[in-house]
Amino acid sequence: MAKIDLSNISHTYNPNVENPTYALNPFSMTWKNGDRYAILGPSGCGKTTMLNIVSGLVRPSGGKILFDDKDVTDLITESRNIAQVFQFPVIYNTMTVYDNLAFPLKCRDFSKKKIEERVQSVSETLNLSSFLNMPARKLTADQKQLISLGRGLVREDVAAVLMDEPLTVIDPDLKFRLRRSLKEINEQYKTTLVYVTHDQNEAMTFADNIIVMDQGEIVQVGLPKDLFEKPKTTFVGYFIGSPAMNLFSSEVSSNNSIKFNNLEINTRTDLSKIKNKKVKLGIRSEFIKIANEQKDNVVNVKVIRVEDFGNFKLITGKIGDFEIKSKVEREIPISSDNLKLYLPADKCCIYSEDKLIQ
Amino acid sequence: MNFKHKFVFLFPGLFVLIGILIFPIIFTIRLSFSGWNSYTPEMNFIGITNYIRLFTDDPRFWESFFRLSFLSVTTVILQYIIGFSLALMVWRDIKFKRFFRVMFLIPMMTTPVIMTVIWRTFFHESLGPVNDLLGTFGIGPKWLSDPATAKITVIIVEVWQWTPFMFLLLLAGLLSLPKEPFLAAAIDGASAFRKFVFVTFPLMAPISIGAIIIRLIEASKIMDTVFVLTSGGPGTATETSSFYIYIKGLREFQMGYAATLSFTYLVIMIISLTIIAKVLTKLMIKE
Repeated sequence: MAKIDLSNISHTYNPNVENPTYALNPFSMTWKNGDRYAILGPSGCGKTTMLNIVSGLVRPSGGKILFDDKDVTDLITESRNIAQVFQFPVIYNTMTVYDNLAFPLKCRDFSKKKIEERVQSVSETLNLSSFLNMPARKLTADQKQLISLGRGLVREDVAAVLMDEPLTVIDPDLKFRLRRSLKEINEQYKTTLVYVTHDQNEAMTFADNIIVMDQGEIVQVGLPKDLFEKPKTTFVGYFIGSPAMNLFSSEVSSNNSIKFNNLEINTRTDLSKIKNKKVKLGIRSEFIKIANEQKDNVVNVKVIRVEDFGNFKLITGKIGDFEIKSKVEREIPISSDNLKLYLPADKCCIYSEDKLIQ
Repeated sequence: MNFKHKFVFLFPGLFVLIGILIFPIIFTIRLSFSGWNSYTPEMNFIGITNYIRLFTDDPRFWESFFRLSFLSVTTVILQYIIGFSLALMVWRDIKFKRFFRVMFLIPMMTTPVIMTVIWRTFFHESLGPVNDLLGTFGIGPKWLSDPATAKITVIIVEVWQWTPFMFLLLLAGLLSLPKEPFLAAAIDGASAFRKFVFVTFPLMAPISIGAIIIRLIEASKIMDTVFVLTSGGPGTATETSSFYIYIKGLREFQMGYAATLSFTYLVIMIISLTIIAKVLTKLMIKE
């Protein structure tokens, strides 16, 4: 187990071109020992490149990687003490489950007794004990994925377990169980887990720290709550949460209020230093409430449709040309075509050039 | 689909199939029941006389058949080992990769008969360059006139000619393998040997079986090399089934008997190759 420092790391796949396009723009970050991290972003945003740089499958074009302050940038994968789980289960087809789990230790010349002890312990954690003598190829996809994971966990000294969308091939109900066991494993073994995914639910339920990436850039690192309530960019607001954050093009009208569609909305953001008056108002549909009377921050909305999702209702309405979505409890009756919606000032995020004004 | 005239469109293909496959087989079977030879060149009917002769009074055919089995199995195993090694070599990022890939394919692009003539010249026991060279060490093997060595010569030429084909198939197989198992093995700390045994070889098993079967079918027809190199000699030391059938049919004009040999040979080959394919699949792919 180790602390992992990524110092000024960048990567391009065509380094010999004059103005190379970066798959990963320069960034620095520290991954603490024993924490759970999720790298979240749309396809092609550089998640896998980042993971492969850490595991040593890709050498970064710039910057350094340190494991416990030791520079490992030039070390090959084998010498880095990393475990990686791929999107599709990788097992040794010709071996039994036991031999699969024992393989990394056999390659490192551990004693027979030690190997047996470790394999027993890991197979119990992963619920694979009853399959140990079966040929690995006979297991189901999720069990095979557990074997891939188990091969990472049998090594006690492993610096981090990296997972590249490991639950893609797994059924939804099993996904939930596997995520839970991953968390338990993390608590039991104190292994640093890094999890790459494009599924926000997976990231939110799995990790303490979520790293959101877009177009080779790390746009926000934080707790699920921060990402949800205070997205640092409009991209994060749009990408995280379902439905996406409501975003309205507006104009600054005073030091703490903005105007959109001729409506004055108060915010808690200090707007006095804003030079460009064109801003965006962002608010989560979860924070918008139905109001009974006209007061500050209440807007009149023409209801387009109401969708019942079982545990909540999603109202889609129009304010002039703008579309607004609000999540409300399903018990609340929605009687008329016109609704009053309240936008709480403390939940309004203001974005200038798509970046959050703090 | 219910279309009245579909047979009209099927006919060209069917016609070709009947013309080149079904008719010759049926004709051969009929011929095998006749005594057609140079004295009585006609399609008479002599019952199973030819078959009785083959199974009771023709050890030469069976000898040639076992010789063929030995030659084809040996050459194909050698081709597989050498072809796989070469493919593994140029699969990785080495210098002049393209150059080597083309070089290894050259033998396949040459005409077998012409190359065999060149090999025969190489191995000529008194005039060939091989013995000229070996002579400096005081040895001069009888490449073509000693029964044991002549077999080795045939094997050398066959392996040289057809390893590229094996190489090509196996290289294509290697290039199509997924990357992840190799990365996983690297992360697990597997040595090159372990990677080969537990990752490369199992992944290559299906394509290996395909390549081996294709080559076995081809190798069992071995004829031109033997014809040019040794003419089946010395004696019958390198005579294979197809060469023996050729002698019976086209040199001695025992057409009826040659048809019996051909048909029997065909049946044996179909059965044995099916068994071989099944056994190989069982051995190499564990399902």
